[in-house]
Amino acid sequence: MFVTTLIAGLVLGGTYALVAMGLTLQYGISRIMNLAYGETIIAASFLAYALSASFNINPLVSLVLAAPLGFIFSYLIYGLMLRPLVARSKTAVALEIDSILATFGLLFVIQGVMLVMFGGNYISYTYMNFGVDILGASVAANRLLALVLALAIGGGLYLLLTYTLWGTALRAVAVAPGVAPLVGIDANRAVRLAFALGGALAACGGVVISMYQTFTATTGVVFTMKALIVVIMGGVGNLLGALSAGLILGLVETFVATYVSPGLTLAAVYLIFLGILLWRPSGLFGRARR
Amino acid sequence: MLEVRQLSVRYGKHAALHEVSLSVAEGETVVILGANGAGKSSLLRAIAGLVTPEPGGEVKLDGRPLNAVPAHLVLEAGIALVPEGRGVFADLSVIENLRLGAYAQRARNSAAGNLARVFDIFPRLRERQRQTVATMSGGEQQMVAIGRALMSSPRLLMLDEPSLGLAPILVQELFEVLANVRRSGVSLLIVEQNVRASLSISDRGYLLEAGRIVGEGGAADLIDDPAVQRAFLGTASRV
Repeated sequence: MFVTTLIAGLVLGGTYALVAMGLTLQYGISRIMNLAYGETIIAASFLAYALSASFNINPLVSLVLAAPLGFIFSYLIYGLMLRPLVARSKTAVALEIDSILATFGLLFVIQGVMLVMFGGNYISYTYMNFGVDILGASVAANRLLALVLALAIGGGLYLLLTYTLWGTALRAVAVAPGVAPLVGIDANRAVRLAFALGGALAACGGVVISMYQTFTATTGVVFTMKALIVVIMGGVGNLLGALSAGLILGLVETFVATYVSPGLTLAAVYLIFLGILLWRPSGLFGRARR
Repeated sequence: MLEVRQLSVRYGKHAALHEVSLSVAEGETVVILGANGAGKSSLLRAIAGLVTPEPGGEVKLDGRPLNAVPAHLVLEAGIALVPEGRGVFADLSVIENLRLGAYAQRARNSAAGNLARVFDIFPRLRERQRQTVATMSGGEQQMVAIGRALMSSPRLLMLDEPSLGLAPILVQELFEVLANVRRSGVSLLIVEQNVRASLSISDRGYLLEAGRIVGEGGAADLIDDPAVQRAFLGTASRV
């Protein structure tokens, strides 16, 4: 029971960490509070479902397709919709308000399209639905795969941002956007790429989620909320913070649901969130570093 | 090499810079002297592309127009700025700051050589490569800022009040470093309140007052100029 719960918690936490990393890029580097973030996730889930149901395409293939699609979609959204807001906003607060309002509208547009195309029912498909024995507990193979994928993609992103000059430039824009041009960084381009990279992460998260969870066209909001909590817990713009906070959140949810009461999971999540905000207002690991 | 003509900068109704013209020749070191609020920082920021000058003015590097060119492309053209207050990436490490200095295409291929050179000039930075810049002293952060600018292989290095907030012994060290950079052939355009020290390493100087150039001359002449002595040297004996 304990091992099963632990692994279920890690799987959920890994998923939260993965999607939160994308949001932390968009919020920490691009300074866009993207309320339509969860809809990008669910759109990718639907893509994986549609390809699996109609053409019997392996979700791993969908993952490879979804990442660049998420990137391109977010790149276009930033250029068409958000860049004008950035250009006209005089302060960071004004941009935050504008971006919240604009992406709140975008949320309903994407959600509406998905409702029209797929309806409002719970959706799932079967993939690697067999048990694997781990320390005496049987764990669904698709969940294990989801955990491995989340850690691999999240770890890859961390390495990219930490050890490449391009990634270091993105972090430089996160910590000092006004100074970045002085070393030759085109800050506008960097924030657009960071936003697009966040969208790619969201799409990856969506495909991974669809492998083991049911979802509906309106589930996106839940993921936006959870990702936001993880981002703030881990420190805005902080990838390792998002990873740790995501795992903590997943473990807490699962253990509370198993050992206390499923009805108290959300209460436990917000209690921890509140505690961290009171105890360390800038998150467990502080603001943007890596 | 650098030609500035009739450059004006306004912030709303406030005119920070009024039709300023100046030039810096290849390998020359030029200092701009002026009181607080005279428009010195605005001048450097306008040349660097960080603020947009009023139409009608001109900034040219080797005859190539640079006005209305965004800051990251001004750096690409060979003009680096060490801004007032240093403008380092405080949350990143020393080595990350220096590597980013060579982010510009013009500097990518010479990054390794430039890094060795910066470490020669500032041995302390070599020892502290992994340290987060925010945890360093003001003098060390200034080294990071200058080192980062040198990483971009600049032809013209602009420094905005580099000695501000440094202990006297560090100020002396700083001007030795700048003299060293100057000998390596890089042109320097320095804004300073430390008149005596900056004139001692300069070829020429301009006097900026309320956004206008009110005087210019060779460094040696300016030190002896009664107007300069009255305006600055009486109060600028900090070294």
